Amino acid sequence: MFLGNLASLRYFLPEFAVTATILLLVMLHVVTKSPKSTASGLLSLLGVGAAILLAGVTPAGAGRSIFEGMVAHDGFAVFFKVLTSLATLVVIFMSMDSRDLAGRSQAEYYIFLLSTLLGMFLLSSATDIVMLYLALELVSIPSYLLAGYLKGQEHSTEAAMKYVVYGATASGVMIYGFSILFGLTGSTQIAEIGRSVAAGKATLPMLLAAVMVAVGFGYKIAAVPFHMWSPDVYEGAPTPATAFFSIGPKAAGFAVLVRFYYTVFAAADPGTGLWRLTSAVDWPFLFAALSALTMTVGNLVAIKQDNVKRLLAYSSIAHAGYMLMGFVLLSSAGIEAILFYLVVYLFMNLGAFYVVVLVSNATLGEEISDFTGLGSRAPFAAVALAIFLFALTGIPPFSGFIGKVYLFAEVIHRGVYWLAVVAALNSVVSLYYYARIVRAMFLQEPKDASAIPVPAISGAMLALLAAPTLILGVYWEPVARIAADSVRMLVF
Amino acid sequence: MAGFLATVDFSNPYFPVLILLVIALAMAVGFVLLSQALGPKRYDRIKYGVYECGVDPLTPAAVRVSVKFYLLAILFILFDLEVTFLYPWAVLFRSLGIFGFIEMAVFVGILLVGLIYAWKKGALEWQ
Repeated sequence: MFLGNLASLRYFLPEFAVTATILLLVMLHVVTKSPKSTASGLLSLLGVGAAILLAGVTPAGAGRSIFEGMVAHDGFAVFFKVLTSLATLVVIFMSMDSRDLAGRSQAEYYIFLLSTLLGMFLLSSATDIVMLYLALELVSIPSYLLAGYLKGQEHSTEAAMKYVVYGATASGVMIYGFSILFGLTGSTQIAEIGRSVAAGKATLPMLLAAVMVAVGFGYKIAAVPFHMWSPDVYEGAPTPATAFFSIGPKAAGFAVLVRFYYTVFAAADPGTGLWRLTSAVDWPFLFAALSALTMTVGNLVAIKQDNVKRLLAYSSIAHAGYMLMGFVLLSSAGIEAILFYLVVYLFMNLGAFYVVVLVSNATLGEEISDFTGLGSRAPFAAVALAIFLFALTGIPPFSGFIGKVYLFAEVIHRGVYWLAVVAALNSVVSLYYYARIVRAMFLQEPKDASAIPVPAISGAMLALLAAPTLILGVYWEPVARIAADSVRMLVF
Repeated sequence: MAGFLATVDFSNPYFPVLILLVIALAMAVGFVLLSQALGPKRYDRIKYGVYECGVDPLTPAAVRVSVKFYLLAILFILFDLEVTFLYPWAVLFRSLGIFGFIEMAVFVGILLVGLIYAWKKGALEWQ
């Protein structure tokens, strides 16, 4: 049933590509005389591109358990591998553009970025709690280094410090939960643990374990009340790294959240597309409460923010709240909605951050006041940012609207009306702070009206990010089908 | 109270552990509280000063510490672990065959890249 180590290697090609690229980057950094050159960026682009191709050409089919049950190779994992690689690809372009990193040695930056990517690959496919913990740390530790990459800048160092302290605490609590699970069931395989949970009665310790594990995963997706690190980290980290945190580790966090809870504490009802709880642990209610709390806190606090990076941090917390709605419904359609929303969110959120990078390159600032008059100073970037912000709000005809339709429709279909009402009210609130930036860009006069140059490559990247945001708002069928296929192939 | 005691199973093999736990907790909390309550309190300048083996403090306590020692320590742990993995591999070398050899070559190769990097970065120089 499990594939052995040697037979597993051919299903592990994307990971090989990323590992080889990391080693090459280290060697490149050692042999070249000018560590500030763009060579390391280009090499990383090649490596991540190869990983996407390799993930695409090794289709998962019905899925299989590889490396003696440590890792799953299934459609769900492949989906997240491609998604996180795409995010990394855009972030590499962004990093090569950013003023934050100019003049610094860049090789290490890309090494950390790709190490995180490798961790995300493993996190989205891990089926053993030991592997899962290792993968989570492989995502976390390079992330701390990325947050603190601007050595000598107080904000960046503070960000890294807070990230480490929060991360260490959260993963400590999580691994305590794992140890309770292992003690109760005697297995580290999540499928095996799931079978024991279904057979056993130890409700109180199970509840304890479920809550403790939720702390670790909640920290990774920045759900309230485990979100406190994210605004400071987002503000202090180099902007491309912030963009990366807001989608990459968050997507991988959702992957592991879904795989873990749907395997351990639920079982699929064949043919219906629904899951049922296998124990008295009512985690869907717990996460529904977290979801409502996350989107409300994220949106309400975002209103008061003047720094665009902080604002986008709270917006990203709120979006994690929306996506959690799909997680609590115990239905395939709910998970599908999360996957679809992640694709949509990837483009609109990275696009918004891309414009922030371009503006802060020119104005040396990231306050909303630095965006005043952008409509006349850099019309193309301003229009693109407006598209991304309206998509983030969820206004038709942009892609964010379709993403929300899928989530809301399934929430209502499953009869969780109160959650749908909370989410709808939150979407209205979010319009206020997104529109504040749009108002600054188009309706206010800038103090300095000089044009902001947008390099051709940056313009092309913006167009490439804006195109899916527009197209997925009117023609989303193929992506929705891919999301549906990726759920159906979950290996349990 | 008597009704409660009747429900306790004293023959449970873990019962002494419970007693130990209660006593340990009581002692830890008790001594902290007792020293708070009974200890003399005299706060003056010398009491708040930095304690340096009874001598008056010579330099500020917050000084910058060189990270070189930690770098070397981390490198040591890294290669110490490598050796830990090499031992069982060497014992089973014959039965693992060519697959084991290649696998260990990859493992050592990756660590070697790390060593070259650390070397070139000057982590092994004490100056």
